Amino acid sequence: MKTSEFIIRRIILLIPVMIGVTVFTFAIAQIIPADPAAILCGERCGLIDPVTGKTMLELQRERLGLNDPVIVQFWDYIERLASGDWGESTTYNRPTSDVVRDAAPVTLEMALFALLMAYPIGITLGILSAVWQDQVFDHISRFLAIAFVSLPIFWLAMMLQLVFGTGPDVGGICDPIFGTEGGCFPIYGRHDAALTYPDRSSSLCDTAITGIACYPSWYPSGGTGFHLVDSWFVTDEALDNIHPDYASNYKLFDDTLVHLILPSFTLGIASAGSLLRYMRASLLEVMNEDYVRTARAKGLSESRVIIVHACRNALVPILTILGFSIGGAIGGAVLTESIFAFYGMGNVAVDAIINLDYSVLMGVTLITAIIFLMSNLIVDILYGVVDPRVRLE
Amino acid sequence: MSWKDGSEERSESLRRIRESAAQARYDFKRGWKIYRRSLLAVIGLLMVISISVVSIFADDLAVEHPGRNLQDTRDVWHIDYEPRKAAPFSDECDTRYQKVSLTTLRRWDANGTNALSPTRVADNNSFYEDILVVTEFIELQDRYGVTLASDLVTLETTNNSYFWISDELMDNNSLTQIRLIYKFENDAMHHWWLPDGYDVCIFGTNDEGQDLFSKILYGSRVSLTIGFTVATLTVIIGTIIGSISGYFGGRVDEVIMRITDIFFAVPGLILALAFVAALQAIDNLVIPLALAFLPLILVLIVPFRSAIISVLMPGSEDTFSRIEPAALLAVGLVVVLLLPLGLYGIWEGLFETSDNRTWRLFFSFIVISVFAGLLTLDNRMTKNFSIEGFSERALNTLNWKNPYRYLTLRTAIIFFAAIILFSWSDDVDNQIVIIDNFDRLWKIQIALVFTGWPGYARLIRGQVLYVKEMTFVEAARSVGAPSGRIMFRHILPNAWAPLLVAFTLDIGGTILSASGLSFIGLGAEPGAAEWGKLVSDGRAHFPQDYWLVLFPGLAIAYTTLGFNLLGDGLRDVVDPKNRR
Repeated sequence: MKTSEFIIRRIILLIPVMIGVTVFTFAIAQIIPADPAAILCGERCGLIDPVTGKTMLELQRERLGLNDPVIVQFWDYIERLASGDWGESTTYNRPTSDVVRDAAPVTLEMALFALLMAYPIGITLGILSAVWQDQVFDHISRFLAIAFVSLPIFWLAMMLQLVFGTGPDVGGICDPIFGTEGGCFPIYGRHDAALTYPDRSSSLCDTAITGIACYPSWYPSGGTGFHLVDSWFVTDEALDNIHPDYASNYKLFDDTLVHLILPSFTLGIASAGSLLRYMRASLLEVMNEDYVRTARAKGLSESRVIIVHACRNALVPILTILGFSIGGAIGGAVLTESIFAFYGMGNVAVDAIINLDYSVLMGVTLITAIIFLMSNLIVDILYGVVDPRVRLE
Repeated sequence: MSWKDGSEERSESLRRIRESAAQARYDFKRGWKIYRRSLLAVIGLLMVISISVVSIFADDLAVEHPGRNLQDTRDVWHIDYEPRKAAPFSDECDTRYQKVSLTTLRRWDANGTNALSPTRVADNNSFYEDILVVTEFIELQDRYGVTLASDLVTLETTNNSYFWISDELMDNNSLTQIRLIYKFENDAMHHWWLPDGYDVCIFGTNDEGQDLFSKILYGSRVSLTIGFTVATLTVIIGTIIGSISGYFGGRVDEVIMRITDIFFAVPGLILALAFVAALQAIDNLVIPLALAFLPLILVLIVPFRSAIISVLMPGSEDTFSRIEPAALLAVGLVVVLLLPLGLYGIWEGLFETSDNRTWRLFFSFIVISVFAGLLTLDNRMTKNFSIEGFSERALNTLNWKNPYRYLTLRTAIIFFAAIILFSWSDDVDNQIVIIDNFDRLWKIQIALVFTGWPGYARLIRGQVLYVKEMTFVEAARSVGAPSGRIMFRHILPNAWAPLLVAFTLDIGGTILSASGLSFIGLGAEPGAAEWGKLVSDGRAHFPQDYWLVLFPGLAIAYTTLGFNLLGDGLRDVVDPKNRR
């Protein structure tokens, strides 16, 4: 099978799953006990429209198509999804697609950065653990692997805030060691409170106002949402007026990075634990293969055998976990985002549930499914490229 | 047939039971030998045992009476009028601020007052206060917290519960209220296993003055219950669906696997979140229970059906045969007739969830259509039907040597139990509410079961596919064993090992997810002794009062770690590489 054919097949396989997910989100919205029409018209529900003689509630229901048969409603829903209309959020009073569009990069940035931290830790510990199999280090790192996945992520987030984000009077350890004031890392927000990054709803750019980051005209309005990227494109005029402490692109980038470290570390630690286990198992399996024995027989040094011959092959199955860990990180974001005051998908989803904002809930579920499926698709394709045997199946 | 006739079979079966018991003992010994090789596994086992013991004896270990526990809202009382948090190991657990209104005392012409406990609510909803025994008088303040000379108030020498207020204080009309601060004999803190006179709070108290240690002890019950219930239900449902998928293969397999794909497409926690939101419409356990019973009935129906077939038709032993056009037509008819009704029931039920009747209607339609579908699926039903010798064959099913008999009986019993439970729930006052205390917790439990089963289904499907190809299964099939028997007696017993490991790991995982959902605010009620909720309640005082977050979280981590280590140890035991 050619690579292109393999990729197309994979994409076609996603279609029924996507349909299933839309059915699922639609069903959830049907079951949720809130009446979206009643939420939209609010106090004016009882008022009677003089032209039609119907109450506002009835008019809203008609406008939203709630009186139609369920099948028709579902078809409408699919049609609207396809045309980019994801409904209107009742909590934010904005289109759901905008809410999701602003929230998704926040979570994605955090999740990807989390994996960036988790992979080196997990793989290094896994390799060392396999090399020193059944020695003290191996036992410790296996324990760590289990401990990492056992920690409640919301609790870990707060404990990290306590230890690394507060002064010694509360319980932080940073100040006496590093001479910082009030901890090594900020514990709230994506950036310094003195700064404002534009988003989709307020893409205003006025360099005269202090603290607003501005992008050049060719840049997507409202930025990409990934502040690690956006910070490099803030215009010079905006930098002049933004804040004396953040007068260069690098300083803005650094500010975002510092804010990302604690949340990402929290999210990444569970991934690091499972990675460690898989890496260890995978490497141990590879070490029994013939080609490793051959490499040893050639008289290569042990480190070369492990790094060049064994690890390269052991890393291939690790690729599959990448897709799952992105899903895990997004799920974990639900629990950590509110603690770190990140307004990403997790926070939005929780708000949507508490306020029974069904269109946002549908949107978030759908977008996480899309992200998750896409990352798995990419991983699958990568796998097919790296290991051609997969394509033959 | 006389009793004597079966003596040989009886002694044979007794021998087999003995043999299998010996084998089980041997297996256990061998397993334990492998298990104890790993120190971590043994530690994990000890952790699980310790947390189980703690949850069982929480009543005896807790320093405070569970009445102080907010789960029992009738007897909520605060340690003083101004509840305040005490740090761990601070001995403030038994100090009390008491406000005394001097104007009231002057009106009554009394110059003394009793040391009183905070107001409590009695069973009959009346309020009362206990008289406290003061051990040490610490300070006297005016109403603004300014310290006054403490000799203005003295403790009665004969009665340690009575304060004398000096004339100087009584005559000072500018003072309307004073505040007494004293230590009192705190019966609650004097627990049998604590050293004598030990009266500090171990984990501190929360902002309502409740002892955190006791709350965490009681929280272990909630968490373990959730862990076991959810893991068990997920295992049952996942095993049933997965084994059906793996055993029958083909289109059934394809459909089930595509459904699991959908579940895997959304991260578990977000799926559970959405599901909990949807569940808010439902206020009792009838529907979830009905849905939980449905797959069980579906599988147990197999021997039931084979019994019916063996009665109706002579000479048929195997249960499943290929579907033929005639049977397909019959199924199609049933579907065409019943599906609209069922669908009507579904939508009716979803829109008017307050009305249980429609749900019941919908459920009974499902049961009926499933029964009908399964019965008509077999083409011999129409082909080989014979009324001749019907009674003989019917009697034959009562023969105690007939292995179908027990399976049939079991099915019948479970089915009727379901029916009876169902009819019980008919009465609105008599809803099936198993976990009454945690009425919001069962929603997250159902959500976790709902999101958890696909993992098991895939796991067990793989196992079944693997075991199915083994020689002993082929042998069983060649002697004409029915599908149900092959499934339960030959395949599943050989596929349980990874299931056990997954089950143990899942208990830990469930405790984590459930506490996460509670943390968000979807699980336990505010103030409940649930670990996730305790962390979330403590968040308002974080990071200053870190202990409110630290200890409940540690409890979650400890329990989860215990189950994960246990599962990891079990994995070594069931690992084929370790079989010698």
